Amino acid sequence: MASQQAEHGRVSGFRRAVDGPAAEWFGLAVRLGLAVVWGWAGLAKVSDPAEAAQAVRAYEILPESLVKPVGWGLPFLELALAVLLVLGLGTRVVAVISAALLLVFIAGISSAWARGISIDCGCFGGGGTVDESQTTYLQEILRDTGFLLMSAWLIYRPRTKLSADAWLAA
Amino acid sequence: MSDKNREGKRSARERMLEERAEQEARSRRNKKLVVGGAVLAVIAAAVVVGVVVQNQRSKPETPTAAPAGTIGDKNLIIPVGAPDAPSTLTVYEDPRCPACGIFERTFSPTVDQLEDAGKVFVNYHIVSFIDRSLGGSGSKYGANALGCAQNAGHFRDFHDVLYRNQPDETADTFGNKQALIDLGKQVPGLDNAEFQSCVNSNTFAGWVSAVQQDFDKSSFKSTPTVLLNGTPIYPKKGDEQISPENLVKWVDEANQGKQLGTPGSHGQSPAPTSTAAETNNPPSP
Repeated sequence: MASQQAEHGRVSGFRRAVDGPAAEWFGLAVRLGLAVVWGWAGLAKVSDPAEAAQAVRAYEILPESLVKPVGWGLPFLELALAVLLVLGLGTRVVAVISAALLLVFIAGISSAWARGISIDCGCFGGGGTVDESQTTYLQEILRDTGFLLMSAWLIYRPRTKLSADAWLAA
Repeated sequence: MSDKNREGKRSARERMLEERAEQEARSRRNKKLVVGGAVLAVIAAAVVVGVVVQNQRSKPETPTAAPAGTIGDKNLIIPVGAPDAPSTLTVYEDPRCPACGIFERTFSPTVDQLEDAGKVFVNYHIVSFIDRSLGGSGSKYGANALGCAQNAGHFRDFHDVLYRNQPDETADTFGNKQALIDLGKQVPGLDNAEFQSCVNSNTFAGWVSAVQQDFDKSSFKSTPTVLLNGTPIYPKKGDEQISPENLVKWVDEANQGKQLGTPGSHGQSPAPTSTAAETNNPPSP
């Protein structure tokens, strides 16, 4: 009986932590953090279209006809996600798209690693073939997994402080 | 009776509350749909605008202006030596690539000799991708300066000076246009205003990008890539390690029984005079 009560206490404590204002402030931090990630990633890929295309081509996954559209469109997709996250507009939808995009990235990097080709992921600009000794596939995957967890939190709890969503709901 | 009445009232109120809750839920759902739709529209618009903008910003794969004397269907190649030489040596190099610097410092005297003897026609592809991974502009500005030197008929000499003075890969010395101009002063014929303005205004930037885009689409992934009559010979040809002696041997083997070419002036085309550069590069109206 006592243990059951303790269990109940833990669960409601968890509930409070996940639903309370502290969680919404935490959500704000996650939202802005992810916005910085997408903003940085997008801006780094905008300046040189040929470099962005080559970063995509180096994965040797997409056909040549899709290399440029993806290389050119992707940074703007990332920038759009960044802006929407800063605004806190449609946070759950944006988080779902973020997570999907990160899963694609992780799959792409894993595929390059598995096929034994030596590339820079081009995640934050750069990209293309690098020397075998300079590949950092594991770090790149772990980093993207961290961003994936941030997205997952926002899918689970899209209500955050100082968001357009909260303002619209009021 | 009064009990019944109370019951009826309660259920009426309950019904009203239920309806209101339903209405609120519906409006919340609608709001969500509107917000979600707006978000997707914003993202789709951003991607479409991005592709259009980048398409306009990207430099064409066929350059609008190439240095005088360049060859190939898009004028991306800088030729050195006799075009009728029996063997062709194709070299892909980045001005900032350290392995290219080592290759050049080891092999350029040998390559110069082979050119001057009419044994090889050398085709240089000056690529510029190190800037992408290390940042800076040394690859691009260095490649442009090499284009400027080619335009003036002094590619070979400037190319050799450039690689002899190559900085550490991470130092972006060639990103400083003045440093490139100063190196030009070591080459007779490049210590002039024409070369300086060509370097300073990055005249062949579009050509430099086109050469790199061509390399991007090729199957070669690193520099230096060196091909003798289409066969890779760097760092090895088959099982044999490249060395100045082996390079001469391979070229002589390939040339066996063939007529040697007739190299022009100092292996350079156009000939290193300012008039040659002008006649090959008519000013656009």
